[in-house]
Amino acid sequence: MISDEILRIGDGSLAKRLVVNPRTALLSNYEVLTLLRDLESDHLARTKTALRIKKEEEASGLNSTVPVGGGKDPTVVEVCENLRTVSFEAIQYLSADYQPTAAQTPEAITRLVKAIQPYGLTKAEKLQIVNLAPQHHIELYVIVEELEDRLAERMEEVISHVQKSLVLDPTLAPVSRQNTIPQNRAQNEEWEADEEYVEFDDHGEGAGVEGDLDMEDD
Amino acid sequence: MFNLAILKDTVAVHPSDFGGPQEQAIIAELNKKYANRVLHDVGLCICVFDITEAGEGKVRYGDGFLWYKVIFRMVIFRPFASEVILAKVMSSDRHGIRLTLGFFDDIYVPVAYLPEPNAFDPNEPAHFWLPNSETTELLDSPVADRMWIDKGEVVRVRVEADEFYDDEPGPIKMADGVQVVKEVQARAPFTITASMAEQGLGPTSWWAAAQLEDDVEGEGDAMDEG
Repeated sequence: MISDEILRIGDGSLAKRLVVNPRTALLSNYEVLTLLRDLESDHLARTKTALRIKKEEEASGLNSTVPVGGGKDPTVVEVCENLRTVSFEAIQYLSADYQPTAAQTPEAITRLVKAIQPYGLTKAEKLQIVNLAPQHHIELYVIVEELEDRLAERMEEVISHVQKSLVLDPTLAPVSRQNTIPQNRAQNEEWEADEEYVEFDDHGEGAGVEGDLDMEDD
Repeated sequence: MFNLAILKDTVAVHPSDFGGPQEQAIIAELNKKYANRVLHDVGLCICVFDITEAGEGKVRYGDGFLWYKVIFRMVIFRPFASEVILAKVMSSDRHGIRLTLGFFDDIYVPVAYLPEPNAFDPNEPAHFWLPNSETTELLDSPVADRMWIDKGEVVRVRVEADEFYDDEPGPIKMADGVQVVKEVQARAPFTITASMAEQGLGPTSWWAAAQLEDDVEGEGDAMDEG
């Protein structure tokens, strides 16, 4: 599926743009949040290095009038305003307190997706269970079509799987979940220390959700 | 809510960026061009996910840029039809409610998609839902009974449809050698129509309160299974 389109860019020149595939894979909110945070910290790190270089240069008295970068000051990290705006706002939305992302970890999401495998849910339903983490009947009810017929008694099981996947404030949690918290924390730290992001391991689909939400075989 | 789109484009990298890694320079250029913009029939671009394929950089006559043909993956915001999302109420008027996600605020809930029976109180101004009511004059109802959908409230909505509008500027019109600037009402290039007319949709606080009552009854079961 290839659709040709002509895009008018700022300076009036025409560029040919091709949309090869408008939707190859679905991403969970958690994946997008991680990607954006990654981007943000990357940007911060580069700004810091740039500042440090600048300071060092000033300290060593190297104050050349012609910057090395061919007219462009190498110490200025170029910021794309659009990107900064959208990523800042998206991070705010995705990490808001009414979203479950704060309580999620890649491992827990993977476990959750595996756990809800046997219930015959569609990809879209599974994605929404990951994104919204329904903890009550009514929340699950809006996500899963014809919930009563399809899941009947097993609704509670799905909800408990969801609850197990969240590292939430313990007052809301069932008692048994407290056992899993220390373990999750440990994983969390380990993961944060790890420079390589497991879920962006790139196989065309986030490994964070086990490639399960890939659209291609739909 | 988010998905990946594969796109193809040709980007130019400025000579001052030749020093660093080319991949980074290409991604920066792509982000500059696409981030926070709506692609027709694709959705709102968030940022580049990765580069799938990039050709050899070529220099054209006339500038010193390196031109790359690239195929890349873009993170796109476009919730699918029937997806349930959380949003905040931005404003209300007679015709419906406008919602915002922070980075995207062209989500509308028309009156037809509000839970029945509902009414708009211009004094607030906000819509309210009056469950189990028989009266036809909703605005005469006691204020305390009303289920308000207030500004700033977190609501759960179902995506019903989305629409793209291509605001093609067209050729510049000239009258007596002077450019004629048409005053067109700016229309959002990408709007989403959402619904609250269902059990479980609408302000999350409504259902959280209802759930608490339920939980007291079913407490025992939930504990066993957890």
